[in-house]
Amino acid sequence: MATRISNTTPEESHLNDAAAANGGIADFDYSNFYYSSADDIFAIFDPYNEWWYGHARDNGYYLFSQPMSTPPRPRIELEEQLGHERLKLLNLASYNYLGLSYHPEVIDAAKNALDHYGLGAAGSPILSGTMEIHVQLEKELAKFKKKDAAMVFATGYSTNVGLIQALMRPGDWVIMDQNVHASIVDGAILSKANVRFFRHNRPDDLEKKLGGTTGKRLVIVEGVYSMDGDEARLPEIIEVAKRHGARTMIDEAHSTFLYGKDGRGVAEKYGLEDEIDIHVGTFSKALGGMGGFVAGSQALYNYLMGFARSRVFSCALSPAVAAGVLQALKIVQREPQLRDALWSNVAYMRGLLGEAGIDVGESTSQIIPIMIRNDRKIFGVAQSLQRAGLYLQPIIYPAVAKHRSRFRISISATHTTQQLDEAAAILSDVLQAEGLR
Amino acid sequence: MSGSNGANSEKKEFVQYHFKHAIGGFFEFPTVNARKILPPHLHPVEPHHGQSVLSVMAFDFHKSMVGEYGELILSVLVMPRVAPGAPLPRSAFYPFLLGTTTKASRDHAIERWHLPHFMENIDLSFDAQKDKIEIAAAHGGKPIIDMSITQYDWETVSHRYQSFMHDPAGSYMSTIIMESAFSENEEERGEITVHDHAFTADIDRGNVNTTPFRELWMKEGLQTFHPLETLASAAV
Repeated sequence: MATRISNTTPEESHLNDAAAANGGIADFDYSNFYYSSADDIFAIFDPYNEWWYGHARDNGYYLFSQPMSTPPRPRIELEEQLGHERLKLLNLASYNYLGLSYHPEVIDAAKNALDHYGLGAAGSPILSGTMEIHVQLEKELAKFKKKDAAMVFATGYSTNVGLIQALMRPGDWVIMDQNVHASIVDGAILSKANVRFFRHNRPDDLEKKLGGTTGKRLVIVEGVYSMDGDEARLPEIIEVAKRHGARTMIDEAHSTFLYGKDGRGVAEKYGLEDEIDIHVGTFSKALGGMGGFVAGSQALYNYLMGFARSRVFSCALSPAVAAGVLQALKIVQREPQLRDALWSNVAYMRGLLGEAGIDVGESTSQIIPIMIRNDRKIFGVAQSLQRAGLYLQPIIYPAVAKHRSRFRISISATHTTQQLDEAAAILSDVLQAEGLR
Repeated sequence: MSGSNGANSEKKEFVQYHFKHAIGGFFEFPTVNARKILPPHLHPVEPHHGQSVLSVMAFDFHKSMVGEYGELILSVLVMPRVAPGAPLPRSAFYPFLLGTTTKASRDHAIERWHLPHFMENIDLSFDAQKDKIEIAAAHGGKPIIDMSITQYDWETVSHRYQSFMHDPAGSYMSTIIMESAFSENEEERGEITVHDHAFTADIDRGNVNTTPFRELWMKEGLQTFHPLETLASAAV
């Protein structure tokens, strides 16, 4: 017999129907299906699929993973997953911050590498998978970041997992901001080190969490946090970490190539590049590719070469992607006006949203959350936005706290002011119609 | 009273308790601490790696088979049990210590539900204000716990939970249905002070977050216990 998630059994007919409806299937989310104990691993599949097909998919979860048939440009086409209708939408959901994923030079570089090297690297980077294009990319990255060395990983996720697992051991301490990316958490878990989380962007709580720790300690923050779009309070956090003798790591996935005079990130902005021991970034955001990197000392590079298991035991990044990313990196350095265009767009959009009285939370970056703060309404709002022609992804619990549901706007340098006007007008109209502004 | 009914009983007996207020705070505390509290067959839920959930709940019962009383419950959130044919609960708890304001309610809960109790009456006060409610629990003039919980939007709900119990005689589970006006938030506006007291001796007080990551407030509600199930496979 299948497990059910319906709220009442036949024996509970005394229950109030309205109450049962509120506490029933519509009240569930992903968090209800993560933890369970049973005699069979597959026991959770029945209630999960009952929830998925009986409620979740048709009530809004279908809005996730809708297949796009165009590049992630400001205007896209995708296939809506319920009626399978092909939609043309204004795109503010892709983190293609500089529009480089479809830049002609980037595509040409990738095509040429594809012709030259073929599709894959056909080996681990520590065995036969390292090609000349990977070495060129690592050298260019190290030069750009003003570090001794940079190491390329196949994904941003595997960068953090491999890096932290390589450095930390049981008995060590990883102390991280509570809002860091899952890849950082997973790396810490894999390392089997002791883990503590300090309250988001609270140097005073970091001070508390460092208390009583001894031995090897690594404090980890991000440059810009992906859900709220706020910057790390870097000067204060680094001061606390250094005073306690801890090593420091910053993941600048959403800030490298964007922040600082030369685009090296939030650490450059605050003049703290030499104070921070380990710098991480990704190629999938501002550079429009995929993969990640660690920048630091040659000694760090040498050690990771031997012990970063996610890299050692994965095929190297596709040479075509490496070539495209390398070209994107050259463009970023050659055309700082791309960053200027991005920040101009960010200021413009922020102004429009402010004039419309739309709640954007604590954001100071190109990631602008549109705070809905209503977990029941957000999918309805998302459907209305899509019907009105705007593509935004709803972000809901457990990705964010309960009642902190929001849409995440990613501004790109390639948006025009007319497109931003259009997006702000759609947002304003839909939120007003839904009684949310 | 045996307190143990088979899961497949032909005629199920539900036990109901009516409350004015039921408030709860979920606080992160070290999994190392949670593991010391839990029996081996139960596993804690971790909102963050290495951090489990200490649930502090207080009930203001005004109608039950043992009359009016107040109840303070310390629990660890654990993995719910999934079984064919049984509805999936919202979450599951392992109550590791309860305190009540009357001997009758204490004797009843020990006998019927195998719930572990602080064996003297406690004092429990509720102070409902416009946007928050405060509770103060004490024993013999010494404070045990002070907690404040804030309100959010209200809705009428029916929520299903599992409660696991364990004593030298065996391991048990009961399904609990909570029907009430319900407010829940993660705004981090509540607060707890866990005092040095025998009641809180199992908790590593210095490592309990003083701000709840989730706050729950139920008003004018009904708590319904399903019959106790003996967990034969988990009787360790």
